[in-house]
Amino acid sequence: MNAAQHILETFRTHGIDTVFGYPGGCIMPLYDALVESDVRHVLCRHEQACALAAGGYARASGQTGVCIATSGPGATNLVTGVADAHRDSIPLIVITGQVASGMIGTDAFQETDVLGMALGVVKHSYLVTNPDDIPDVMAEAFELAQSGRPGPVWIDVPKDVLLNPVTTPTASGDAPSGDAEQTPTDVSGILSRLRQAERPLLYSGGGIRLAGAETAFRRFASASGLPGVVTLHGTGNPGRGCPDNLGMLGMHGSRAANEAVEACDLLLVAGARLDDRATGHLDGFAPNAGVIHLDTDRAEHHKLRTADLASDAPLAPTLDALADALEARPLNIEHWRQHCRDRAKTAGFRAATNHEPLAPITGPAFVRQLSETLPPEATVACDVGQHQMWVAQYYDFDHPRRHLTSGGLGTMGFGLPAAMGAQFARPDQPVVNVTGDGSFMMNAQELATIRRYRLPVKIIVMDNQCLGMVRQQQELFYESRESQIDLDDNPDFAALARAFDIPALHIRRADQMRRGIEALLAFDGPMLLHVAIDRQENVWPIVRPGAANRDMMDAHNHHADKETLA
Amino acid sequence: MTEFGHQHRFHCIMQDEPAAMERLCQVVRVRGFRLEALAMGRDAGRLTLAFTATGQRSPAMLQSQLEKLISVESVTCAPPESARQTA
Repeated sequence: MNAAQHILETFRTHGIDTVFGYPGGCIMPLYDALVESDVRHVLCRHEQACALAAGGYARASGQTGVCIATSGPGATNLVTGVADAHRDSIPLIVITGQVASGMIGTDAFQETDVLGMALGVVKHSYLVTNPDDIPDVMAEAFELAQSGRPGPVWIDVPKDVLLNPVTTPTASGDAPSGDAEQTPTDVSGILSRLRQAERPLLYSGGGIRLAGAETAFRRFASASGLPGVVTLHGTGNPGRGCPDNLGMLGMHGSRAANEAVEACDLLLVAGARLDDRATGHLDGFAPNAGVIHLDTDRAEHHKLRTADLASDAPLAPTLDALADALEARPLNIEHWRQHCRDRAKTAGFRAATNHEPLAPITGPAFVRQLSETLPPEATVACDVGQHQMWVAQYYDFDHPRRHLTSGGLGTMGFGLPAAMGAQFARPDQPVVNVTGDGSFMMNAQELATIRRYRLPVKIIVMDNQCLGMVRQQQELFYESRESQIDLDDNPDFAALARAFDIPALHIRRADQMRRGIEALLAFDGPMLLHVAIDRQENVWPIVRPGAANRDMMDAHNHHADKETLA
Repeated sequence: MTEFGHQHRFHCIMQDEPAAMERLCQVVRVRGFRLEALAMGRDAGRLTLAFTATGQRSPAMLQSQLEKLISVESVTCAPPESARQTA
């Protein structure tokens, strides 16, 4: 067995049945081995899409995603998708071919220093120089990708190494774990602070999903009765219809959520890293609150906000232990809880309804309609921009794994390949890509992949003929000096889809929303729904970048705020 | 204290593997510090490094970020007093 064959064998032993890749010169030994392998290889149409699809597969399934490319441009094209996985802590194995060992450092054809290039976007990386290292490297790579705070692991293998035999075909068995030695679960300090607090608030993020702590989280939320705010990656944590969920906080958070953070006297942060899009200016963030920070990554503790108590203990047993104690002796926060529930009704996300059937479609109304029409098990993969925020605001997710979104890196072009990956991971469940006209064009070539594999991905292009989020910020913060945001020469998206033999529909009026979505869902196969929305529509509320969340602007006060800021 | 911030002295042991030093140097830079001095020894598959870095952020933050590197086996940061004496 040569190294290439051993790599494929390792996929099989780790339960990986689907990989995403694109062949080329230096990776050809692996593709030759694929001919006899039972690993399903998905040929995407761009290496970036391979990495993003593998990420989508991992996000939707909880398993490790795998992507493969050749040296040079194959590897450089992967970088954005790998960086995306790195920023969102997604387990990924990245395999690239490299020029032959003797050619490294000679500026050979399609040579790039992949190890050096990728250092900043991986959890770990290898350049394999000896085929006998492959068993240990592969075992280590899978362990590292999945353990602790997950992330991408990149393995660069010269062509000659891929071809040479592996003479020691089993791993030595001492693969290092990415799990740091964790503090045992001790919840007494947390409980003490919770019982002393009058206005405690629960702030949860993507770490709940990464830790597999969804059930424990909901049990704790129920037992404690804490009002909750969520990050972009935490939108599904509370489950559909949770009355104590105030919605997303931060730059595009609800007024109810940001007000609660401002008012609380204790913030229990669970599986979140207090990133700038959520906190706004740190000096104004939760100014009256003590902070308890539960995160398995110790490096996140005290990084941006000093915590009064921080724990890297595993989240699920910690939340379960807290729930046990609080079920036996509940907190007395009913007045605060009711106040927050009332604010969720009056200052939470409530889509404006289109009373006039012939009115244009608005983003919030469309997403609310989508949320009401799709089943809870549907996966929604977004791109980046205004539509992404409307989904985070108005879609009521039932589970955090049903919402795929590029949170850390903010990768336009993420949605379509991520939806492909999710559809491979969940072939019997609906997968919908909600995208914008800017983002869609960044990986539109993947319509060919969707058609080739007959993936029943539903694509919704919310088309405002411009880069809406940039236009909005230029309007609000750059005196309406629009610069390079016009996309009014977009192609006919429906015709584009049909060119790939994918049917398409077009809607533009409010009374067409329900029927359009229902038609999309009813179709047996991939389909595109083109939704025309107004160019001038904005995402509200918004906090000026760098400002405190208390200074959020909305449709009614932004003109006054502009004058104040000026 | 220099123009760039406080000086901190670190001691690090890491596995001797390709790009080990690059990983360390990159983290120091990305996390807002500047390398002022560096000494390295190689022995029995390990690299032993003593370095001084200057920055305005917490040295504990840099230490925790270095500890996340898979190649790093241990990192210690000397107290500020000794860093000033040895810098």
